[in-house]
Amino acid sequence: MKLSTLRAAELAAPKQQRNWDWRAATNFICGGAGGGLLFCAAFAGLGPVAMQAAVLLGLVLIGCGLTCVWFEIGRPWRALNVYRHIATSWMTREAIVALLVFAAGGLTLLTNQAALLLLAGGLGLGFLYSQARILAANKGIPAWRHPRSIPLMVATGLAEGAGFLACVMSLASGGAGFAVLTGLIVLIGVRAFLWKAYLDALVADGAPDGTLKVLNGMAPRLLLVGHILPALAVMAAMAGMPGRAALAFAAGILAVAGGWFLKFTLVRRAAYTQGLAVPRIPVRGKGTAGAGAKPGWKPV
Amino acid sequence: MTRYVMTIDLRRCVGCQTCTAACKGANATPPGIQWRRVLDIESGEFPDVKRTFLPVACMHCANPPCEEVCPTQATTKRADGLVVIDYDLCIGCANCVMACPYDARSIVHEPHYAYNDTAMASEAKRFDPSRIGVSMKCTFCKDRIDYAAVSGMIPGVDHEVTPACVNSCISGAMGFGDIEDPESGVSRLLAETQHFRMHEELGTEPGVYYIWDKS
Amino acid sequence: MEAQAKSVKRVPTYCYNCVSGPDLMNIKVVDGIATEVEPNFAAADVHPAKGRVCVKAYGLVQKTYNPNRIKTPMKRTNPKKGRNEDPGFVPISWDEALDIVAGKLKAVRAKGLLDEAGLPRVAVSLGHGGTPSNYMGTFPAFLAAWGEVDFSFGSGQGVKCVHSEHLYGEFWHRGFTVAADTPNCRYNIAVGANVDVTGGPCAVIRHADARVRGYKRVQVEPHLSATGACSAEWVPIRPKTDPAFLFALIHVLVRENGLEKLDIPFLRDRTASPYLVAPDGLYLRDPQSGKPLVWDENTASAVPHDTPGIKPAVAGSYRVASAVVVDADRERRDYADVDGKTAYEMLAQHIDKYTPEWAETVCDVKAATIRRIANEYLEAASIGETIVIDGKTLPLRPVAVTLGKSVNNGWGAFECCWARTVLAMLVGALENPGGLLGTTVRLNKSRDNRHLSVAPGEDGFMVQYFNPTSKEEWQVAPSTRNLHQTLVPIVGHNGAWSQALGPTQLAWMFQNERPDDWSMPMPTLPEVWLVYRSNPSISFWDTRHLAEVAAKFPFMACFAYTVDETNYMADVLLPEATDLESTQMIRMGGTKYMEQFWDHKGVVLRTKAVEPQGEARDFTWITTELARRTGLLEPYVKAVNKGISGVSPLKGKDYDFSLDPAGDLSPEKIWDSVCRAATLTLSDGRDEHGLEWFKENGFYTVPMSRLEWYLTPTMEQHGLRYELPYQERLLRAGRELGRRLHEKKMNWWDEQLSEYTALPEWHDVPGRWIRNLEKAGAKPTDFPFWLLTTKSMQYHAGGNAAIEVMHEVAQNLRGHAGVIMNAKTAASLGIAEGDRIEVRSHIGATYGKAALAQGVRPDTLVIIGQFDHWATPFAKSMGAPSLNSIAPMSLDLTDATGSGADIVRVAVRKMEARQ
Repeated sequence: MKLSTLRAAELAAPKQQRNWDWRAATNFICGGAGGGLLFCAAFAGLGPVAMQAAVLLGLVLIGCGLTCVWFEIGRPWRALNVYRHIATSWMTREAIVALLVFAAGGLTLLTNQAALLLLAGGLGLGFLYSQARILAANKGIPAWRHPRSIPLMVATGLAEGAGFLACVMSLASGGAGFAVLTGLIVLIGVRAFLWKAYLDALVADGAPDGTLKVLNGMAPRLLLVGHILPALAVMAAMAGMPGRAALAFAAGILAVAGGWFLKFTLVRRAAYTQGLAVPRIPVRGKGTAGAGAKPGWKPV
Repeated sequence: MTRYVMTIDLRRCVGCQTCTAACKGANATPPGIQWRRVLDIESGEFPDVKRTFLPVACMHCANPPCEEVCPTQATTKRADGLVVIDYDLCIGCANCVMACPYDARSIVHEPHYAYNDTAMASEAKRFDPSRIGVSMKCTFCKDRIDYAAVSGMIPGVDHEVTPACVNSCISGAMGFGDIEDPESGVSRLLAETQHFRMHEELGTEPGVYYIWDKS
Repeated sequence: MEAQAKSVKRVPTYCYNCVSGPDLMNIKVVDGIATEVEPNFAAADVHPAKGRVCVKAYGLVQKTYNPNRIKTPMKRTNPKKGRNEDPGFVPISWDEALDIVAGKLKAVRAKGLLDEAGLPRVAVSLGHGGTPSNYMGTFPAFLAAWGEVDFSFGSGQGVKCVHSEHLYGEFWHRGFTVAADTPNCRYNIAVGANVDVTGGPCAVIRHADARVRGYKRVQVEPHLSATGACSAEWVPIRPKTDPAFLFALIHVLVRENGLEKLDIPFLRDRTASPYLVAPDGLYLRDPQSGKPLVWDENTASAVPHDTPGIKPAVAGSYRVASAVVVDADRERRDYADVDGKTAYEMLAQHIDKYTPEWAETVCDVKAATIRRIANEYLEAASIGETIVIDGKTLPLRPVAVTLGKSVNNGWGAFECCWARTVLAMLVGALENPGGLLGTTVRLNKSRDNRHLSVAPGEDGFMVQYFNPTSKEEWQVAPSTRNLHQTLVPIVGHNGAWSQALGPTQLAWMFQNERPDDWSMPMPTLPEVWLVYRSNPSISFWDTRHLAEVAAKFPFMACFAYTVDETNYMADVLLPEATDLESTQMIRMGGTKYMEQFWDHKGVVLRTKAVEPQGEARDFTWITTELARRTGLLEPYVKAVNKGISGVSPLKGKDYDFSLDPAGDLSPEKIWDSVCRAATLTLSDGRDEHGLEWFKENGFYTVPMSRLEWYLTPTMEQHGLRYELPYQERLLRAGRELGRRLHEKKMNWWDEQLSEYTALPEWHDVPGRWIRNLEKAGAKPTDFPFWLLTTKSMQYHAGGNAAIEVMHEVAQNLRGHAGVIMNAKTAASLGIAEGDRIEVRSHIGATYGKAALAQGVRPDTLVIIGQFDHWATPFAKSMGAPSLNSIAPMSLDLTDATGSGADIVRVAVRKMEARQ
């Protein structure tokens, strides 16, 4: 017989969220990259093959994320109810944008029209932004609700998109051009900057110990894998080192990997709940009040 | 206007979990799911130590983040302040679970029973398939509040229309009533005591007031 | 689903799962199935807890439908008994089960109720604190019809209850249980008293009200319990040093404040403080009447204590021209021109050495803290203040020292009980409003009105019914296996409970081995052992060995809910209809256990809310069938007619509902008669309500004056004094008992005899546990920690470890199913929260998860409850530790009243990762 293994000491403290598992994380990981890819592709001046490849990959990424989520929700056959709350719900908005992305992307695939790609790219950015807002709207997760999570999520989606684009172009056309590589390195830099700004603000504004431990723990690896190495690869490619396509491909993959590492960590491992707190210790009879307690958070 | 709120006098609470168990009985929640519980929080260092018993549940916020994120409008805030879930609309996406800063919501994906896989007669009698795979939480015993509107009874005064946890509380720590009515028990109690609401800095405007001292 | 239910009803009933009952509740029944427990607000005006029940009651629905229940009678098919022997229980019919049990009982009757050792052939074990009698219907009438029964084989009562409080509380102020008058109290020193956990809803609401009102409770205990958490101050005292702390409080009152700040009229008129004591430590008595002498300040002469018009001196030393003393065995000695000190003076001199500075070295509590607490207590006592209750002006002394388990049982408990009662005495708070109250009696009659037990006895004190220690009357051959009449004078023989409050561990221990100089008949095993709502194989000490003894009992029949660790050795299991499935009427209100003192008194019905599961039968039906099959129907019905569980007799002045042995004896008929008799008696003939009325209404009460809470006015009426502070009677009883034992060449009880003193001394109480270790060949340094237990409201006395929902909600509180230890200590041992640890004493080990806390002394570990089940379904998967498995059962650790304490020296270490 299975018995519950709750531990009283931990009940009040922030806990790693368990409701959005790898399936929900996949939506942020793939969907964000897909949206980012569509957006970057729209401005990359791609040839028809690369355009087809980029758009297809973008749609597959988004579709894959949404499919995973569909498998996670408790009542999948009612999934269409997701469209009922456009007024405030970013999940509703994400779902609407997703429909439009698929429409515009599908048409782009059918027609190879650059204008449609531009539309799909804009919607891809909208999809990415919706996802960032979904996370940020969750007041129960301090790591997500911090306002600096929004630009970070958008930036990483775009960096991943640029990374994928570099990969696609390395394979499907003559290789990533100077503009794409410039875009990639700029986006990697922006992401690095926003990541640091986010983490600094989170530390300053306060977050559960568990969240800070996980994020601080990942920071050096993220810096190396997600920022320094791809930036070096891009710079090497731009400097004309031999194997330029491979370097651009590697830079792209590393930019994507860094972003996915960041998002998986943020959505799963660093996603500690707010926890519960007692700001004032009650007065028992003639006793004295106390200063309060916020388990799992550094004393302010 | 009416806004139903709960008062919890932390000076009184002894952490006995009677409200936890009464809620489980009244709402037939499955094993491991507690729409409310009393936390046992220690602070300080030996020998200057305090232990506080802190009952927690859905705070029925005036600005409920769960409602804002819900993509289906299954979660809504009623005119009387109750935050409720329509189990027939909810898709179980868990966005509200993450949005709630009070750990108040949970989703059960398959039936669970107290003893192994078979429901006892008492469990079978009350099993509600509509609650599988959807978000659940404290409802302030919604059916009772609804009955107040029909019967003319007053929540917080008449036990039949008062939440089960409040009814059960053996230390008299819990009160319930309309905070918009200056004559209600909760309004009067709050006027003569010092109190806080949890995580007020998040702007949720919770409907549960914790009393910690006299005025 | 409930929305489609055909019928929904609410059935009023009671919960008496612990001694702090009854509390009232309703059972919601949907289409014949119990679904919810709810408060019974119809009782809100009469029940101090306003019609509410505690968390335990909310497990009763699961208790009813638990699939692990025994639902048919069963018999054992494996003749071998033991923990490793599958009993092979197989279902049988009720006829067969009852015939087996009745056959054994009839065989006993044929041979005679007592065996060759003079001990009852039938033994009965009942669980916690009398709670079984609120569920076992008419079974007490069967026991009464039977005759001699041995209640010696305890499941913890006598040794693990608040034993010394029961015995000395009842002796000094008819307080079998002792409480603060919380509704009026302003200052409560709670020495381990865990009232917010064990006091039931009545205590919880009263203390919550008191907190909001602004009373101060100082909690003195090694571990910050829930009650400590809700107190104004926590004093983390070293385990088992409580007597030193309390002695120092007395010191501050008596030596530092002095008599003039104390309640002199109370000391002078209601206590033995003025009695003159001879240099040999016995009362100086009037040579003619034999009455103790006092010094009359009016005439400056020594006169008998009850001489009219005198003004006895409370303090001082006086020269008495002629007096006698009466020693053990009525030996008289004459004195002339002797200096007699008043008993108060004796106390003052005795307590002189117990300064707060001395106590600090013993208790690890700062002297300044002790002194402050004593002075706060004295100030809060507000000596001189009065209160009017129902038109009568009484002193208001709103201070009380309450004691908890393991403080008021085992070595040191006599000293604690004495000290706290003396503390009440000094300020006049004993049995006065706001102060320290006894709430019920069990060793005296009548158990429903302790005032009726007050009658003049010897020396101006209340009558007492000690077990005799004179040469002629001492019970040299024990009549019970726990030797209660032989060894424990104070437990007496006047109340139904005297026997069960003997040293029940002796019954278990002496089955295995006896002292070398044992010169009494060898204890025998009972031929038939009946067990109900009791699981000694879990709830006693050294439970592994206890289970081995239980396995040797030749025939055992258990009223069984599920298989458990005790009935695993049974020959027959009888499934009784449980709490919600059967009918019984009991008394409620008046003054009962703990803080159950009400403004009303009456009766309450346990109503059959739902049909019993399977073949489970109403206990009253089972009892009647047993009586029929053992040929005891007539005396059984006679006992029922006399009144069951203290509820009215079935025949009174103006009514007669007597049952006929040949007539209808169904449970419904029996309880209908009880209902009618009870209501007519309570209402003085105004109201008569039968079973059907009670099924609807649940209870019936009449108002009661709050004056019934206080014994002092009754003492005053009788002109009696509390037998305090000096214990001449105990001193003499101890001397006589010693002589008797020594005459039989027995010295094995000598250590216990040292407890019989007139004024208790400190005697290194914790050291007894350390010496016990050494005696067993262990090194004290190998066992550096104290292990204690504490209770939890979810489980306390409920016998409900098999209930899933209790486990679930209990986990919200720290330490359930774990070992609570100081976080710093744990860190020094490399132990982290949740680590699996071994707690080892010199007799064994127990295992659980570490629950780290700041609110526990660094030298102390605490295990909640007693959960190391190995047979009880569900409970056995909890993997919880228990002190009981590793606490030794030992004569060395048994005090003079026969009780022990839940404490043992242990070592602790982290286990390698497992599970």
